[in-house]
Amino acid sequence: CHTSGMLTPNGKEYAQKIPREELTHLILKLLQAWKEPLSHFNQHIEHHQELPDDSLSKAKQISNMVHELKTGVEKSMGIISNSLNGMASSEGTALSISNEANTMSDSDFIHCFRRDSNKVQSYLKILKCRIMPENSC
Amino acid sequence: MKQRFISSVQIILQLVLTTVGLTGQSYPGKPQIIRCRSLEKETFSCWWKPGSDGGRPNNYTLFYSKDSEEKIYECPDYLTSGPNSCYFDKNHTNPWTTYIITVMATNEIGSNSSDPQHVDVTSIVQPDAPVNLSLETNTSANMSYLWAKWSPPPLADASSNSHEYHYELRLKPEEKEEWETVSVGMQTHYEVTSLQAGAKYIVQVRCMLDLGEWSEWSSERSIQIPKERLPPEKPTIIKCRSPEKETFTCWWKPASDGGLSTSHTLLYSKEGEEKVYECPDYKTAGPNSCYFDKKHTSFWTIYNITVRATNEMGSNVSDPHYVDVTYIVQPDPPVNITLELKKSIKRKPYLVLTWSPPPLADVRSGWLTLEYELRLKPEEGEEWETIFVGQQTQCKMFSLNPGKRYIVQIHCKPDHHGLWSEWSPEMYIEIPTGEVKDVVVWIIVGVLSSLICLIMSWIMILKGYRMMAFILPPVPGPKIKGIDTHLLETGKSEELLSALGCHGFPPTSDCEELLIEYLEVEDSEDQQLMPNHDTPSKNTKIILKETDSDSGRGSCDSPSLLPVKCRESRGLPSALQTQDIRAKEKKGGKESWEAQCMVSEQKTLPCNSESTKSCTWLAAQLPSNQPAMFAYHSTVEAFKITLNTTNVNTSPVWVGNEENGQPLYPIAETVYDDVEKISEMENSKTDQTTVQIRQNQHNHKSPFLNPKLMDYVEVHKIRQDEKPTLLLKHKENSGKTKKCSVPGTNKEYTKVSTVVDHHILVLLPDQRTQNTPVSQEPVAETSQNPQQTQAEKNTSYSTTTPSDSRRDTSGSDYMDPSSFMPSFK
Repeated sequence: CHTSGMLTPNGKEYAQKIPREELTHLILKLLQAWKEPLSHFNQHIEHHQELPDDSLSKAKQISNMVHELKTGVEKSMGIISNSLNGMASSEGTALSISNEANTMSDSDFIHCFRRDSNKVQSYLKILKCRIMPENSC
Repeated sequence: MKQRFISSVQIILQLVLTTVGLTGQSYPGKPQIIRCRSLEKETFSCWWKPGSDGGRPNNYTLFYSKDSEEKIYECPDYLTSGPNSCYFDKNHTNPWTTYIITVMATNEIGSNSSDPQHVDVTSIVQPDAPVNLSLETNTSANMSYLWAKWSPPPLADASSNSHEYHYELRLKPEEKEEWETVSVGMQTHYEVTSLQAGAKYIVQVRCMLDLGEWSEWSSERSIQIPKERLPPEKPTIIKCRSPEKETFTCWWKPASDGGLSTSHTLLYSKEGEEKVYECPDYKTAGPNSCYFDKKHTSFWTIYNITVRATNEMGSNVSDPHYVDVTYIVQPDPPVNITLELKKSIKRKPYLVLTWSPPPLADVRSGWLTLEYELRLKPEEGEEWETIFVGQQTQCKMFSLNPGKRYIVQIHCKPDHHGLWSEWSPEMYIEIPTGEVKDVVVWIIVGVLSSLICLIMSWIMILKGYRMMAFILPPVPGPKIKGIDTHLLETGKSEELLSALGCHGFPPTSDCEELLIEYLEVEDSEDQQLMPNHDTPSKNTKIILKETDSDSGRGSCDSPSLLPVKCRESRGLPSALQTQDIRAKEKKGGKESWEAQCMVSEQKTLPCNSESTKSCTWLAAQLPSNQPAMFAYHSTVEAFKITLNTTNVNTSPVWVGNEENGQPLYPIAETVYDDVEKISEMENSKTDQTTVQIRQNQHNHKSPFLNPKLMDYVEVHKIRQDEKPTLLLKHKENSGKTKKCSVPGTNKEYTKVSTVVDHHILVLLPDQRTQNTPVSQEPVAETSQNPQQTQAEKNTSYSTTTPSDSRRDTSGSDYMDPSSFMPSFK
């Protein structure tokens, strides 16, 4: 995966140790890193006639969701540190347009995307429970 | 028979012998040569079996002779072969001769010798079995060999053992039944190749000389063939699971171990790394498993895991198993499942089920988020109802039926990719029934309603009549003027017709005229009496004076009176011209006059205080002894008195008619005009007097000259002894009435004072003046006392009523029958 180079905590303890800002940074970076590949992928599969329409619409939906999520995270966590967010954005973009991102096969794409989305989800949850530990934490 | 004889002789002989034997001494039994055998064709031995003892020690001697020789030799050696044997050594053995051998047993008493035995040495050769059988196995190149070795049978004379034996070997696996026999030849060893690895074999050998027989099989020897040794087969990795997304475990399944002890090692490498690690922990998770603790668990990386099985023969590696821990999370089932019954505002209670996430899962930090699902079914049900609950740890259940038992289970899974946990242990729910209340309520309702029904039905039964009458008013029977049912019954058509007031049928104009002459009598409230020229259908109103029932005479309401008729006619709106007073026998026990008013609305008997009523009734209550007072009154038009009296005793017949002073027609006249006959009252049984009113058709007219208002006729009483006579007296003609009985009866009604001639009722018109002793018959007088009381009562009645009534005239309230009285006489 093109995001494999990123140093992300791969365990609970590590994730809990990281300060919030860094975690947010990572999240944003990840989200940003997928922006391009997603749109690229959407373009790519539109030409694939054999895929059912559901998949196409779903892919588009996912791209939107990722974008919205990124925006949301930025807004909610943007209070913390803007500079970091900016950096995340640039780094993410760099990854996004890297070679690896472009040359990913479809299966790799799906596999990597699945993993990274799971990462993002987990990090966000940890973040949420750290910030607001009331309900369902 | 013969056999029997022989057998019996034998028995006897045996007995003798045994007795002889028992006594002790007899000569020995016959010995028997068992066998003779030669081991190697150079020597041989014979053994014999002694016969019966005979009680004394025996000596045995063996004699033999060679064939065709006469000479008898004795056994050379008794010892070598053991007791009761004879050993012929080399010198004495000639393989080509046949020996004839006998054994003789001798004791003090006598001797006995065996049967001779022909022995041919060559034919009795049988060597001993081989000895020293030894076995060995050898495995090379995965083949196992069995190597067997033995020694030839030993001989007494070891040196001369140069014989060539043929050997045979047999073997079989221990469990099997069948032997595999191999001919070995002359060598004393053998190698077996086709062996089952891992089986235990049993081996035996035997030998044989050129001629003769095979020896016995040697004793068994067994040996275990070693199993095949193989390298282990490939193990397989079953699954890897993480219960809390922090550690994980992998399990594998070993294959066959090739007969040797095998060991397993798990090796893994991570995605992107080359290094291969070995499982850090083989123990924690049990046999054939590997536990990765927190340190060794990395997420979002793919592990490449393999298992290697190793034994002496080699090793084998399983297929690689790729796993990303993130996706293999399968939590434990939820714990701490509690139930709470809550009562909502609505009556029906609901259940709140709460639980906790499994203890290992770290939900608090958000690292692992669980979703729950529960399933529910009634205890006896078959299908589960699954409810997805989401991330909350409680559930409210409303849809449970009280009283039923339910089984509920919960399981959870991570909210992202992961696996559902096992179902929690079954939990039973039972909601207490609030139904008891409902049941009780329904029971009460049922009881009450049944009670009410009972009461209602009871009431219905009791007041059935009334109710029925109320609901379904009785259909009025047709009442034709002048028809006397009795007449009908008796079938006297003439009388009937005459009763109808018609001389002939159909009614002629005469009737009409007659009818016309009648006046309508109306009561006080009503209008005056009008001469009724109408047809009979017009309303005739009869003024009735109602007398209370207390009067004793009977009143309209008196039940003793004709209730039936009265009731029937109670509601009659239509007017009938004629009134028929009928006296009928009311009951068997009572004689009663029953007067039936044929009057229309004015019912006859039970007159309730209606304004216009005509009430005629007959009360028949008086015992026979009492003189009956009859008040007889006929009103208005058809004043017919048809008294059917059979057993009319003394029944005061009251005809109360309130008079308004309106002129009444001499009803009597009319009555008598119309009435064809007088119903005869027969003297009933003993005392009963019958009132007989006879009307002479023809005579009637004369007495009544003046149609006068007759209010009513009161039949006072009837004397027993005399035939009652109904005398209608007109008030004004008091003078005429001489037979008015009832002295003090200042009645306003006419009373029947006496009965004359058994067929005449003397009716006295009552006058206002109390002291008008209207002609009363002496007869009546006597009976006055009771009468008087009654009369007084009557007066009381009458006084009141007439006061109310408007009377224009002093007209009597009753009809005065007196005018016609003579006619009756």
